[in-house]
Amino acid sequence: MHPLLIDIAGHTECLLGNEAIVRGALESGVGFACGYPGTPSSEITDGFAQVAVARDIAFEYSVNEKIALEMAFAASLGGARSICAMKHLGLMVAGDPLSTIPYIGVRAGLVIVSAGDPSCHTSPNEQDQRHLGPMLHIPTLDPSTPQEAYELTRIAFDLSERSRLPVLLRATTRVCHTRAPVTYGTLRAPEVRGFERDPRQLVPIPPNARRMRAEIGPRLETARATTEALFTRRGRGPDVVLTAGSPAATTAEILSELPDGVVLATMPGVFPLPRGPLLDLLGATERVLVLEELSPFVEDAVLALCAEARLTPRVLGKRSGHLPTAFEYTPDIIRHGLHDALDLGATPQVPRPIEPVPPRPPVLCAGCPHRASFFAARAAFGEDRLYFNDIGCYTLGVDGPLGVGDALLCMGAGFTLAAGVSRVTGERTVGFLGDSTFFHSGMPALLDAIKQDANMVAVVLDNEVTAMTGFQESPLVEVSAGQPSRRVSIEGVVRALGATHVSTVDPADLGATIAAFERARDASGLAVVVAEHPCPVYARRIATDRVESPVFEVVTELCATCGRDELRCGQCTTHGQERAMSLARLRDPRDEAPQAVAPCATRCPLTLCVQGYASHIAAGQYQDAFELILSRTPLPHTVCRVCHRPCESACVLDAAVATNDLKRFVMDWATETGASWTPPRAKPNGRRIAVVGAGPAGLAAAHDLVLRGYGVTLFDAADAPGGLLRTGIPGFRLPPDALDRDIEGVLSLGVEFVGGMKLGTGLSLERLEASYDAVFLGLGASRPRRLDLEPATGGPQVAFALDYLAADTQAERVVVVGGGNAGIDAARTAMRRGARSVIVVFPESLATMPALADEVASAEAEGVELRAGLRPRTLAGHGAPGLVCEGDNETTILAAELVVIAIGQVPDLTPLRALESTADRLLRVDPDSRRTSSPTVFAGGDLVGGPRTVTDAISDGQRAAWGIDAALRGREIADQRPPPRHTEIPPGPSPRSPSRALSEAEAQTEAARCLVCGRCGNCRACLDLFGCPAFFLDPTGAIRIDAELCDGCAQCADLCPNGAIRAIGGGA
Amino acid sequence: MSSKLLVVGVGGQGVLTIGRVLGDAATRAGIPVAVGQLHGMSQRGGSVQATVTMGDGASAFIGAGEADVVLGLEPLEVSRARPSMSARTQVLMSRGRVVPHTLAQRGEAYPDLETLREGVRAITEHLLELDGPATAKRAGDARALNTVMLGALAGRDVLPLGAEEIWAALERRCAPRTLDFNRRAFELGREAVSP
Repeated sequence: MHPLLIDIAGHTECLLGNEAIVRGALESGVGFACGYPGTPSSEITDGFAQVAVARDIAFEYSVNEKIALEMAFAASLGGARSICAMKHLGLMVAGDPLSTIPYIGVRAGLVIVSAGDPSCHTSPNEQDQRHLGPMLHIPTLDPSTPQEAYELTRIAFDLSERSRLPVLLRATTRVCHTRAPVTYGTLRAPEVRGFERDPRQLVPIPPNARRMRAEIGPRLETARATTEALFTRRGRGPDVVLTAGSPAATTAEILSELPDGVVLATMPGVFPLPRGPLLDLLGATERVLVLEELSPFVEDAVLALCAEARLTPRVLGKRSGHLPTAFEYTPDIIRHGLHDALDLGATPQVPRPIEPVPPRPPVLCAGCPHRASFFAARAAFGEDRLYFNDIGCYTLGVDGPLGVGDALLCMGAGFTLAAGVSRVTGERTVGFLGDSTFFHSGMPALLDAIKQDANMVAVVLDNEVTAMTGFQESPLVEVSAGQPSRRVSIEGVVRALGATHVSTVDPADLGATIAAFERARDASGLAVVVAEHPCPVYARRIATDRVESPVFEVVTELCATCGRDELRCGQCTTHGQERAMSLARLRDPRDEAPQAVAPCATRCPLTLCVQGYASHIAAGQYQDAFELILSRTPLPHTVCRVCHRPCESACVLDAAVATNDLKRFVMDWATETGASWTPPRAKPNGRRIAVVGAGPAGLAAAHDLVLRGYGVTLFDAADAPGGLLRTGIPGFRLPPDALDRDIEGVLSLGVEFVGGMKLGTGLSLERLEASYDAVFLGLGASRPRRLDLEPATGGPQVAFALDYLAADTQAERVVVVGGGNAGIDAARTAMRRGARSVIVVFPESLATMPALADEVASAEAEGVELRAGLRPRTLAGHGAPGLVCEGDNETTILAAELVVIAIGQVPDLTPLRALESTADRLLRVDPDSRRTSSPTVFAGGDLVGGPRTVTDAISDGQRAAWGIDAALRGREIADQRPPPRHTEIPPGPSPRSPSRALSEAEAQTEAARCLVCGRCGNCRACLDLFGCPAFFLDPTGAIRIDAELCDGCAQCADLCPNGAIRAIGGGA
Repeated sequence: MSSKLLVVGVGGQGVLTIGRVLGDAATRAGIPVAVGQLHGMSQRGGSVQATVTMGDGASAFIGAGEADVVLGLEPLEVSRARPSMSARTQVLMSRGRVVPHTLAQRGEAYPDLETLREGVRAITEHLLELDGPATAKRAGDARALNTVMLGALAGRDVLPLGAEEIWAALERRCAPRTLDFNRRAFELGREAVSP
């Protein structure tokens, strides 16, 4: 049998204060009970819900407190004793009916329970509801223990009927949530006397209201008899301690430990003031300490009474500064008050200070659908959006990684705040509230927002139950408290109110929820999203069978680790990229786990983490993207313009992510904002290296060597560094100022540049080897590959491509021989120099020509003509200058005043005779270290690989820097393994358009296209974005999941960028 | 003179049930009792405590240094309860850890258990611990942690209540299908702390 239903007079049961109130009502023959849950009042409505059917009581969880009070009042008019319960804030919601009910008066007894929360344990404020008594003419009772709560409830019903006034039973957390023995009387069956028609008394139109007002005074005097009867005093002594409410019990306990010598008076009835017993008490004492929580309600009344009756005891308490006017009274506070005001007891000890313990604040449960909704909202709406929250479990989303709480006010205001802020700022805002809150006061808030077509997204978080207060049923159920209830559809209500952009999603499907939020984000005017998923804790509680769900674990080998951990590449040093990575996986849920390294990155000669900078850009973290790029790219302004982008050829998307454009966006951003960053730098180690050749390989080697702690002297035959970057690439592809920024970046690290020094003339390898600890050779291919064409009288002028680019030769008609990048560059340069016709001839087909496809496309767009499958044979002269070419079946003569030979360059190995070379007339080097046959001479670039790309040359320089470091310092260096070899892709057809400057929005959109095919070595998505309490760090720092806490919701597994979370056990 | 017991743990461990059972047992035994409970906003995961005052006085509050017994279902929560302890406080602690979610977000691991123990021993030498979760699993259900701890409390004989009185109150709250493992958990808890 339910303990509240035991019908034995004198039986004692240990009851919660709230349950004691229910029992008191049951013994008073209550016929109607209702309320709206709210801590600390909820167990009152819950208690009635449990016994209503058995006791034949009409009960409902009302949709809000105003409705609850109106229902209870109506029930009283209908002749049934009635009670309604709510927390202190709820009584404010019910303020309108509350203020008029005393005028009209009640028929059967009406008790309003309002549970206050001193110290704001579970409320946004603490308030002293006792003031409502005198303000609205409502008798007010204030229990201090469960037994007293039980007794006062019974008294309240009688008092209400006798005075025809509603009675406010004000309790506080410490009474509502204390369990103590309560001794029962007998249960009384409800009776309903029926409604008696009496408009003069029941309709407070002004003439009636004025008459009613005049009648209230005498009715209150009737009530005073009760509060006076409740007044108690015990003990003897010169001083009086007058207590009310919760502190009465604590004070009694403390005084019981002290020797006698004080009068303890309690006043459970605080309004109307028990004047008689108070006058007796005050007239016979010299000092009185008033002990009550919150405002000096009783204290001020006592002071007024003393003034009125010309009594002169010293009234001590809050006004005298002995007691605080805020927060609960703990035993320590009361001891202080007694000691300081009345010298009672010993000086209370000061609590010993203890070192802080890690906090354990309340948190959204593991598996909570609200966490999924908030995660999806942050993903769709972004970091800068304003989010307004409301009262419910989801309030817990304001903290931690979810962080959706720019403001919070009260029930229903999640929508109103969003609408109001949007109204004045014009920003598109987001407001959240839960299902129960929606019915409570979110509906009018939404209606108001709909009416003005507010620029906001309204999100209803529907978990099908009022979870925070202990799983009370909302209007979403079909059976409530054992009685049938009509199920109401939230989406139906939303549509009926007039909203047009409405969608309902299941937040457990993160991808679909993000998509729904994005559509709502992009809609105009008010958009509503209903995120519907049952509370899993409640679902388990009401399930008839025990539900076995899988739990999840983190696969440590996949978590926060990529295939390059041993590389220590230093690219992933910051966080924030995870959101974009997580989103990429949710948008494109693939069955296969991410690869160790994304295919694009395996092809990057610089081992650059493409998905890393793309994700940072997508997340708006440009400085992070900048640092990531710089950590592996010595010449970033150059690379972002001229890289041949082997990464893009590996991209799994049909249209590859435009990697150069993204890098260029970041570098332009850095130039504009003045951002700067230097990669981590080793301490100087005193060793010195000579780098010969200041082209891309030499600059890269110098850059990396300085960072590795070496002193570097950089020699070049030219007066300025840059090598082929300066002479071989036209300015329209690589503007000189971009190159200069890169060179300045290298030199500013402390590289010493010596120009005008050519190996073989002013400089010899032997001398360098003798003077430096090691030498890096990046001489490039300085000799043009020859093409022997018979000269012809009156024939065209012939020039090698590099010479042509360097000089200012002009001609009407130009034929370029060679379909590589140098040929295309020469052709585009010729167009810029005013040529009327420019033809490029090459033996390959259009599809197999070596130049970058986008450069070729640009050339064609500029008017350059391409002739595939042609081999030059001889020059034509005699007044018709041109080039004779041979095709497969025919011979063609192309008219030209100038023929540019662009069929590549070969290295000049003359000064390097001491070193071994290959049959191709290239230096022979070790593939990992780029060491030549001499142990302290290293080489890279075109010298070792024939005509290669700028990025490959930079890669050689970096690799050689590692080789030199490994050779000179051996086991001391951090990266014991050589840089990974990338899959070398020859420059070839690429569908991308040429590198261009992107706007910020374009860059973010382009970056967000990246599917993040590889794992992230520096991922904390689960902790930083999701914050599920089942996650913890073990002593090694590894992310783990507590199997006891895991709910099996699988959301973390869905969003993990590394695919590192998998189900174990249960029904997985 | 009253006897004050502080029960601490994490939401979901059954702290409030312990308070409720002891309140019922004391009431049946005719002992004045007040059980206080403070639950936070969430159903699970936050710090939870219940106070049980038996004997004279009706206040459920436990002031600084006032706890005669601290029954801890989680070590960090025991550490948090130190302000309520004094040199005479008996501490019964389950050493099963529940890592606060805030630690992972701050990049920290759970504090060293020995450090937590030392913090308690600096106040009271009466610290007794048991492996609550393992004992509960041995009894047949990990959810029986609170029953194990009630058993341990009964085994130490630090309250004006007999073990059978405590068990009887617990038994009344058990669903029939959970009775067996709860009985085993109660007994194993008692045995775990027997001298």
